[in-house]
Amino acid sequence: MPPDAELETLMVRYQQGDADAAGELVTRLSPAMHRFFMVRFVSRRFADDLLQETWLRIHEVRHTYRPGESVLPWLYAIARNIRVDQYRKVRRLEDRERQVERLPEVAAVERNQGPDLEALLATLPESQREVVALLKISGMSLEEVARATASSVGSVKQKAHRAYEKLRELLTAAGFNKVGSS
Amino acid sequence: MKENEIDGIFRQEVRHEVDPELLSRISASMAGSMRPVRPIAPVWMLASLLVLISAIISIACAGSIGMYGIRKLSVSEIGAIFPALAIFTCLAALLSVARMTPGGFRWKMTNAGTLLLIIVAGWVALDAALFHDYALGAFVPQGIPCLRAGLVVAIPTGVASWIVLRRGFAVRPSSAGLAAGTLAGLAGLTMLELHCPILLAPHVMVWHTAVVPLSALAGAFLARIATSPAAPAAHNPVP
Repeated sequence: MPPDAELETLMVRYQQGDADAAGELVTRLSPAMHRFFMVRFVSRRFADDLLQETWLRIHEVRHTYRPGESVLPWLYAIARNIRVDQYRKVRRLEDRERQVERLPEVAAVERNQGPDLEALLATLPESQREVVALLKISGMSLEEVARATASSVGSVKQKAHRAYEKLRELLTAAGFNKVGSS
Repeated sequence: MKENEIDGIFRQEVRHEVDPELLSRISASMAGSMRPVRPIAPVWMLASLLVLISAIISIACAGSIGMYGIRKLSVSEIGAIFPALAIFTCLAALLSVARMTPGGFRWKMTNAGTLLLIIVAGWVALDAALFHDYALGAFVPQGIPCLRAGLVVAIPTGVASWIVLRRGFAVRPSSAGLAAGTLAGLAGLTMLELHCPILLAPHVMVWHTAVVPLSALAGAFLARIATSPAAPAAHNPVP
């Protein structure tokens, strides 16, 4: 059974009240979702809180999933909403711009261990970072990312293209001409 | 550096562990309140219900105060105005449903603000094509009652729409409110077209049309204040 179909089956069982299916969904989907929160360069503890809050919200609104539709866009639309809500709440507590300026240096310093993904992504504007995270970390298709972010496929493609351009420039400037060459 | 080489970096870093304790805690808290739920109705069903509600309320209200407007319209005007209103109402209903379903269906025009602009611009263009009498008449004294009546009809439509959509979950509440408010405003506009016998272009273009954006903005505002976070932040994201 393809992974998407498996997720859909688990989701339907979850809606029917199957706790095992819910546990399986949590186990399977949490790592990518946690990573999705981490690329916003928040602390691990905060990502844990966001993950927990997202699952609680998913549990509350699980009836809004329509059987037969892709699970990931539905799930990430909710995750994204939680992240934005929480981000707004804590925005005043930190100066994110300062971190964004500092992080590319971190990416360059850690050459010997290979490029730092979080640091690289932190150099991108939020919308591009989100698209790259959803495409490459969560493994969603362009269409699914468009659904999760309520935008068009063309817009997602454009953001991904621009993000790759910038990542390419940064990696080349930092001496990563080929993966594994450093 | 090529795109597939950048992909390689992502692949190398794709493994990411989450504290198993945390996952167990989440699963346990979900299992504690586990019960079967009925999935939300299909898009077409909810959208049809919204269109039906909108039509019933606007026709019932116009019928109760008199359908003087439609009697004064020519067949060609009726043939242009009401199909246009029906199309706008269907689009607003679809968008309202889409906005209440996380990651739901989408089409190119996903933005509620864009839909509102298209409706307003389309409606004004249609009025300009149909009505050529630009006399102002008693512009304000005649306009205010129309605006008020349109907004009064928008209120029950908005409430009924909320009842239909309340099982949904708006990931962008203000956008969902804007779409639902647009739908409610269209019900008010439809009622005015059925009821109002004043066919002066400025009157229709300004006072009738204004019902839609005002209702849409009210919907967005109400949705925003209804969902605004009340509690201060409890987390510190600083690493």
